[in-house]
Amino acid sequence: MPRPVVKEITFTLDGREVTAPEGMILVDAANQFGDVEIPVFCYEPKLGQPVGACRMCLVEIEGIPKLQTGCSTPVRDGMVVNTQTQRVHEAQRAVVEFLLINHPLDCPVCDKGGECPLQDITYGWGPGTSRFIEPKRHFKKPLELSPLIAIDRERCILCYRCVRYSQEVSEDYQLVLQQRGADSYVSTFDGHPYVAPFSGNIIELCPVGALTSRAYRFRARPWDIEGAGTICAGCPAQCNVELTVRDERVLRVLARDNENVDDGWLCDKGRFAYQAVHSDERITTPLVREGDELVPASWDKAIEVAGAALEKAGAKAAAIAGGTTTNEEAFLLQDLFRGKLGSSHLATRAGGEQPLDVVRALADPKLQATVPDLEFAHTVLLVDCDPIDEVPVWDLRIRKGVRRHGTKVVVASARPTALDPSAAATLRFAPGGAEAFLVALDAALSGDTGNLGGAASAAGSNATAVSEFADALRAAGEEVVIVYGERALRGSAGRAILNIASRLNLASIANAGILELPASPNGRGLREAGFAAGHGPGFASVATPGHGGEEIAAGLASGDLQTVWLHHVDPLRNYPNRPAWEKALAGAQTVIAVESQLTDTVAQFADVVFPAEAYPEKDGTLTHPDGRVQRLRQAVGHPRGAGNTPGSGVRPLWQVISDVARAVGFDEGAALAGSQVSQRLFEAVPFYTGLTLDAIGGRGLRWQDEATFDVPASEPGALDVPSGLPAKSEAELRLGTFRPLWAAKEVDIAPALQFIRAKQVVELSPADADARGIREGDRAEVGNGTRIPATVRIRAAIPAGSVFLAEGIAEHNSNVLTHGIVEVRRVGPGSTEPSSLPIQSQPAVEGLAEMPPSAGLPIPPREVAE
Amino acid sequence: MPYDPGDDVIVIHQPREGAASGTFRAFAATLKGLKTTFARVPEGTITINYPEEKTPVYPRFRGRHKLHRFEDTGLEKCVGCSLCAAACPADCIRVVANENTPDNRVSAGERYAAVYEINLSRCIFCGYCEIACPFDAITLGHDYEMADYNRSDLIFTKEMLLAEPLERTPLRTADE
Repeated sequence: MPRPVVKEITFTLDGREVTAPEGMILVDAANQFGDVEIPVFCYEPKLGQPVGACRMCLVEIEGIPKLQTGCSTPVRDGMVVNTQTQRVHEAQRAVVEFLLINHPLDCPVCDKGGECPLQDITYGWGPGTSRFIEPKRHFKKPLELSPLIAIDRERCILCYRCVRYSQEVSEDYQLVLQQRGADSYVSTFDGHPYVAPFSGNIIELCPVGALTSRAYRFRARPWDIEGAGTICAGCPAQCNVELTVRDERVLRVLARDNENVDDGWLCDKGRFAYQAVHSDERITTPLVREGDELVPASWDKAIEVAGAALEKAGAKAAAIAGGTTTNEEAFLLQDLFRGKLGSSHLATRAGGEQPLDVVRALADPKLQATVPDLEFAHTVLLVDCDPIDEVPVWDLRIRKGVRRHGTKVVVASARPTALDPSAAATLRFAPGGAEAFLVALDAALSGDTGNLGGAASAAGSNATAVSEFADALRAAGEEVVIVYGERALRGSAGRAILNIASRLNLASIANAGILELPASPNGRGLREAGFAAGHGPGFASVATPGHGGEEIAAGLASGDLQTVWLHHVDPLRNYPNRPAWEKALAGAQTVIAVESQLTDTVAQFADVVFPAEAYPEKDGTLTHPDGRVQRLRQAVGHPRGAGNTPGSGVRPLWQVISDVARAVGFDEGAALAGSQVSQRLFEAVPFYTGLTLDAIGGRGLRWQDEATFDVPASEPGALDVPSGLPAKSEAELRLGTFRPLWAAKEVDIAPALQFIRAKQVVELSPADADARGIREGDRAEVGNGTRIPATVRIRAAIPAGSVFLAEGIAEHNSNVLTHGIVEVRRVGPGSTEPSSLPIQSQPAVEGLAEMPPSAGLPIPPREVAE
Repeated sequence: MPYDPGDDVIVIHQPREGAASGTFRAFAATLKGLKTTFARVPEGTITINYPEEKTPVYPRFRGRHKLHRFEDTGLEKCVGCSLCAAACPADCIRVVANENTPDNRVSAGERYAAVYEINLSRCIFCGYCEIACPFDAITLGHDYEMADYNRSDLIFTKEMLLAEPLERTPLRTADE
């Protein structure tokens, strides 16, 4: 879809000629091009159409008798605007006086004090006095809008920002204004807690202290804190964030608007999971297993033990990376494994690797879409992924495209996604049918009816549905963005995606292309840095490709591999087939883990544990799924170990890998500084050449904009139809898994997010539920041999025959089930306790609840030396 | 012509003194000074026996800080708003606030200062904190005896600032 064409116009602002793009809102044009600040409360460009509710932005426009709102007036050629006349000043003073009529002016106890637009505008444009002596309106305060947000209705100036956000941006339709006129107040319709994946954004939107973060409540004032810009490493979206730091502690996470990455929004996981950084349960010293117990050890000893184990294993060593691993760590680790140990057993994904030519073709710069393309494309195709769980802010981006630019969304997935209601077409295939679906879609696009029927039925769908879906995909226009989950990349799925892309001619259409959603936050960067079994840095071929994730597990169990380095990954929790991994880790001679918590993997199997850095402690680069290289910058110091002795605590991981490299006699793989590793990485990866940390800066750089990466052109070839789905009986269901947004160890630890911790839920179709006598909220057991208990959620959009369980969660994780065919049976009625529900959504009986006491103090008194 | 200084030279001779006049000259100067001394004797002593006695201070003297409580409820006036810390030019105040709960009500507002520290070795006693305080919770008192053997002992905590000083500094009366 063509981006709006920008035409420059000239208008007069306070007697000066100002040039601005036509149609730009006057407030923005005055601020950006005219250097005149017009005060606003309700206007926020991110929220879409202006409403002109607060009347703060009144200006005088010649030719119009009454004052006009600058926030809802687009600039026109030849317009004459005055912002500094007596009439305007009087109007502004009157509006501020009016807004302050009911504002309690409790700034000293208000968290917004010091960074409050109402304070600033009152000082700048207000009258300084009030004629209002009548009693102000009173509400009970503070109330709990949700476990994350406190609402103080007395402070609210009714600017509608939060309500508009809920209605038009996050589209959860929960916040409303109750009552009329002077009695209006913000609330959820029936008083239930406002729990939504993006609820935290209204805290930042609120121009007064009416909506405040409960986690940050009374923690600091704006002059006590420092802002530290970095990026959130919680998911592949890699939102730009600014961490609020006080006394070496992260107290808050704010969005750092980057239109090319996050559009200025954050999910609640990114906003509140920072609390895990300062958890008491964090591992802060190296641990070494002695006998059956992990005991704290010195760094020298841990490095020596790890080095000896790696040296002994040699080519029988393997490494798996994930989580917040930076490009630098991945590069150093693969260098150590390839350069010294002679092992290429490096994995970042649970499933198998795609052939090298497919991997390269998928990374073709011509084929890469960007995040803004999601908003402006004619059609966005989602294959086997749900953005709200995997890259939450993309969900908002796609919604924005649908709402404001008429983008069509077509969804093909096994599990219904959150975007289904906005989708122009949806197609459900059976769990595990993504590969066959992609082959069928390719056949439908090419008109190969022979393949279409077979592949469609192998996907658990039918030829008609796939052809209709293909038509819907092409209907809106030629700019198509294909977003596919990494889990779909099995067998010939990669080739099928390339075929589809070439049939839609995506490589030669600007603003169209493909976007892969990696399973780990830096999945793309890890592979580009060479951390993959099949290729080196920059997708260079390697002499002897190593094993992928599943093969490493098999190799460890059988003794073909001896030592495994787990870098920020927890296979027992996050990889499918837990029994196989338990066997693998038990079979491994040495398990070296980089981990911040005593997870099952660490507690039961690790022999050497290096404490992991949290993302606010890291320095390095990450690569966004669209190829944007971004910088992680250190915001807080590394925690010290027990006894608070210098040098005892967490160390930078590039340094740990370097020390291990030195311990095995590989001095050329060791580095002296983190920036040196970055430099080495930029030299080693051909398409990163020329990047510097300074050039990447705070906004990141897409390497595709600067460098090229040649991929031999290939014609789409016919694909084999994948084997069909395994047979199942009438009583059985096909099991699919999904990773809920809240399935993360940080969420499990963060006190503020305890209420929303991911618990096991079994999602059933209404038909299957009826057949088994199961109702919503019941307790059920799912499994085949091994059974796991779960709460039932019935979703009408699930086709009969499929059942879904959550993966990556702490308790009753679905990865203990190894069969794709399961039975579901009811074990008992649901509990009526609100806490037993997966998400607290019980309406409070009488409006919002009063707030329970806040959590303990995060910042201790200073320790005074004796 | 060579210069002859002969005409310009003035030779000065010290007065030739005998024993009596020399003695007189020495004592006369001393007695002159002692005259002033003895003339002040009737005025009485001005020095005081510090530390047994203390110099009284003016009412607006800015000494050690005090935090106040409400007299009727006993609640602290400080709500932990940190405005004093913002106003402090020496950056010697540190406030960490926390929330009042029904079980633990410390101040009259929504929040209270859980940590309130003043580093008196840094403080310049300018009184800006007192001016900034919206609740009159902090004032500068009259105590000036704050010497200590240890720098860290000069970080005064909230308990120390709330407590009455052990010994009151006398206040200068109006006519003094």
